[in-house]
Amino acid sequence: MGKNRVKNNIRKLRFSRDEMTQQQLAEKVGVTRQTIIAMEQEKYSPSLELAFRIALVFGVPLVEVFSYDAEAEPA
Amino acid sequence: MSFQEKNITVTLVNFTLILGFYLIRVFQMIQAGSFNSTNVFRLWGIIIALAIVVTIFATILTHIFSNIILAIKTKEEPHIEDIQDERDNLIDLRGTKVTYTASSIGVALSMLTFVFGQPPLVMFTLLIFFGVLAQIIGDISRLYLYRRGF
Repeated sequence: MGKNRVKNNIRKLRFSRDEMTQQQLAEKVGVTRQTIIAMEQEKYSPSLELAFRIALVFGVPLVEVFSYDAEAEPA
Repeated sequence: MSFQEKNITVTLVNFTLILGFYLIRVFQMIQAGSFNSTNVFRLWGIIIALAIVVTIFATILTHIFSNIILAIKTKEEPHIEDIQDERDNLIDLRGTKVTYTASSIGVALSMLTFVFGQPPLVMFTLLIFFGVLAQIIGDISRLYLYRRGF
């Protein structure tokens, strides 16, 4: 299985926001905790809508949360 | 184990037991010489009824008992995460695709029995066997995707 090309800083951003738990973030964006875990481990790339919701929760632009690694093998 | 994973596990166990029951009944019929259309189609009815009724009740009972056990363990009201998000939907779609693929192969293999000069009863017997087997394969693929993350 290739690596996911979509990278994210969710874990870093959670800790910089008073150590927000995965459960708290999941409830704020309306997904399960397992989905947050899968995203943090870069096993799952969220939809554009979910990506925007996550960025809104952290109050930062989308590009500060997600980035695209063109060099990585396709997933 | 998440809410969705519990549901899939319950369905997987049910369908595996149903498949076992079906195979035992078919072999018993063949051995007893009662492998005829009346018995086979009655078995079809039993299998379909079992698949629907047992899965519904088993899922409800599993959630009740697992939450009771969790409440006793943690001494708190359990938090049930029963929402279905986009990742659940995608995993479900992939599982359905695997089920349909396995089912299509099963139907084609069942039809092949006509080529070998078998009666239609053999084809119908294999059809439900592959139908249940396809559901099991789909559930295994869903569980695999949940365990892997996606």
